[in-house]
Amino acid sequence: MAKVPCSHCRLEFDESIMIQEKNNDLYFCCNGCQGVYHLLKSENLDSFYEKLGNRVIAPPLTSTNPTQSFELESFRQRYVKTTKEGFSSIDLIIEGIHCAACVWLNEKVLADSDGVLEASINFTNNKAKVIWDDEVISLAQIIDKIRSIGYNAYPYQRGSEDVKATKTRQDYFLRMSVAIFASMNIMMIDVAKYAGFFSGIKSETLELIHIAEFIFATPVLFYSGWIFFRGAYYGVKNRIVTMDLLVSFGATLTYIYSLAILFKLINGHSYFDSVAMIITFVLVGKFLEVLGKKNAVDTMDKMKSQIPLEATIIEDGAKKVVGLDEIKEGDILEVKYGEKASVDGEIITLGGLFDESSITGESHVVSKNLNDKIYSGTINMGDVIRYRATKDYANSTLSTIVTLLEDSLASKPKIEEKANNISKYFSLTILLLAIATFIGWYLYGATFEDSLINAISVIVIACPCALALATPIASLIGISWASKRGLLFKEAKFIESFAKTSVVVLDKTGTITEGKLSVKSVSNTIDSEMLGKLYALTSSSTHPISVAIKRYLEATYHDIPNIELENIAQVEAKGLKANWKNQILLGGNSSLLKDFGINVSFESHYSLYHFASEGKVIVSFELDDTIKNDALAMIAYFKKIGVRVIMASGDNTNVVSRVASSVGIEEFKSQLSPIDKANLIDTLKAEGEMVVMVGDGINDVLALSKADVAIVMGSGADVALAIGDVVILDNSLDGLQKSFYISKRTYKFIKQNLALSLLYNLITIPFAIMGFVIPLVAALSMSLSSLMVVGNSMRIGKNDE
Amino acid sequence: MNNVLILELFVGILVSFSLLGILIWAIKSGQFEDNKKAMDGLLFDSTEDLQNAVRLEEKRKKMKEAKEASKEEQSKEI
Repeated sequence: MAKVPCSHCRLEFDESIMIQEKNNDLYFCCNGCQGVYHLLKSENLDSFYEKLGNRVIAPPLTSTNPTQSFELESFRQRYVKTTKEGFSSIDLIIEGIHCAACVWLNEKVLADSDGVLEASINFTNNKAKVIWDDEVISLAQIIDKIRSIGYNAYPYQRGSEDVKATKTRQDYFLRMSVAIFASMNIMMIDVAKYAGFFSGIKSETLELIHIAEFIFATPVLFYSGWIFFRGAYYGVKNRIVTMDLLVSFGATLTYIYSLAILFKLINGHSYFDSVAMIITFVLVGKFLEVLGKKNAVDTMDKMKSQIPLEATIIEDGAKKVVGLDEIKEGDILEVKYGEKASVDGEIITLGGLFDESSITGESHVVSKNLNDKIYSGTINMGDVIRYRATKDYANSTLSTIVTLLEDSLASKPKIEEKANNISKYFSLTILLLAIATFIGWYLYGATFEDSLINAISVIVIACPCALALATPIASLIGISWASKRGLLFKEAKFIESFAKTSVVVLDKTGTITEGKLSVKSVSNTIDSEMLGKLYALTSSSTHPISVAIKRYLEATYHDIPNIELENIAQVEAKGLKANWKNQILLGGNSSLLKDFGINVSFESHYSLYHFASEGKVIVSFELDDTIKNDALAMIAYFKKIGVRVIMASGDNTNVVSRVASSVGIEEFKSQLSPIDKANLIDTLKAEGEMVVMVGDGINDVLALSKADVAIVMGSGADVALAIGDVVILDNSLDGLQKSFYISKRTYKFIKQNLALSLLYNLITIPFAIMGFVIPLVAALSMSLSSLMVVGNSMRIGKNDE
Repeated sequence: MNNVLILELFVGILVSFSLLGILIWAIKSGQFEDNKKAMDGLLFDSTEDLQNAVRLEEKRKKMKEAKEASKEEQSKEI
């Protein structure tokens, strides 16, 4: 059957399972997409699809969390601020933003709403600021508008860390922009200078060039390079030789020498260009570090927005809304439909349904009975339940995960420290060599001026440009190659860890399996009348099993009769009951049928769904999570390249072992909590392994943050996407295989580049020390070494297959 | 010859520092806070978006005026 793209989200599916609108030649993968498509058309917002281009987005999100909570006084106190004009303002995180078109659509819908004064969304971190007039529109209505177009919004508190990280990022960005701007101008002027060196240039013209370079280099050294002077000062104060000291010392020495030439105190060429280049190169590296820290703050904000704001406790028979910190062990709490449990506890009323995907990663709704454990952060998908708190908020699962994640993110950049150490030793060696050259030549009898020129030549020739370029340029080419294949490497540094990987830990649901239930087998055929009833019954529930059966019926049968059912009711944790012309229809698990006196003999290891009418079982379905097509090939690839594969899942042992054996994984761990998964990563790292973790859910976030490289499937939870170092946009395991190949090849070139630049330094520095290289030739050869590294890196993407 | 060069140099430096000034102003006013959006804006912004921005600006002005007026009314009532 031919695959067709959904008219809204552009995801491709078999034509047979799509919702078709033949009159308009439209296809939709789900009702959500269909609804949003027509809403956008009717609101004249269809230019969204032009802006979307060929990009694919996720189908609309459906939120179970009612918007009434946005109107609570405690919510307003915590999140809503009042502007000086008297409007209300809130910081939100918008979930589901994939591209610029999504940002445009959300901003447009909000800006067109009466009462909304401002709505600006930051595409990079999906944070939004909305200002509105409470007298015209309520916050709940604003959130409803966002939800109506298929996105969701959570509030977050702009903490002091966020404000500080944003300020630092802006400061570094400003300094870096000035440095890049001035360096680019100096480079252009350099063309004339070096051309003149070979073809002859008037001394007055050269003087003018020096003046121009001086004008551009001065702000670079004193404004952009101020960070290094400050770092050097604190380093000296604490008696530590930092890289900042070396950079500022080297640059200042070259600057003073060039000034002496400019004011004709000594003869020669000025090296203002080297001053600007050294500062700019190192500053760009520092800016990337700052950017990493800002990303960590943004990720924590996303995670914190998952925490419920308050809880309802039952005290002396009366309900009372309290803050999370006020909940004590033993308190009785009430959770309504769509609300999150705020602390861990045990159920004390009749069972309910809970979405535990934030803990286990499984998309199935889990039924809970009396005395069963409830974990904070899980969502109640059934009727109101009450439970007894067994832990206070600070010791509950969700809070523990958030705290551990915060620590983990704060200690992540170990590779950067290593890189800084290497450049520190390199710079220290060069500086010592330069000083030794100066002293050596001076004692040997050379003039002060000649000794200084030779020392400067050593600094200029060893300017870490080629060395500094060796890794980033190869990484950049590798990363852009990967991005063309749908793989998003967030930072270059992961290429190295990726290439050195010895263990891959894979999550089950959403990574090896599709994370979506599908019908595996059907007990018998269904006649047309029963088909209509079953379809109507499954259509009235959003439970993943009902959705899977409905999808199966739509794909298998055409012309399903349209039947209206009456008195549709959900039976707690068991299924659905409905009436049709005095007949009782039942759809659900075996215990539902038993409750109505129907005996079911069908047994299976898979999830079961029975449909019964008039006391008889009409049909039974076996459902299973589908294993991804390319799983077998990927595991075989890992085995071939000698990488150990471990599957880690929150699911039960039977299911995990079945999935593991069917894809050829020998090592697996089951029933792991998010903390267990993170501990597994820690243990592997303690054994000296380089660990890559592949996951997609909130339950994987902690383990992902601990791993050397975190790979996240594109369809994963927003928090997981934020924490992932590499995102596989098309969710395919083939993408995972490709990312390994690309990293390994890129890393090979990084090593080649480093060897080339070190070889260059090994050959040229002795010549400079011996006084055979004048600073100008040193500067030229330095540029040539950079070109050599760039040229070598261009070969990375050549061998695409 | 050198006079011409000096003039060119002076004008060139003046122009480039003016551009630098604009860049600094743009960064300080937060236009590059969202690097992805800034890049996409270059590719996708159309006249329709510009008109929308103007309309939004007018709407903001009106809302602020209305708010001021209602505040004044409230203070008179008190």
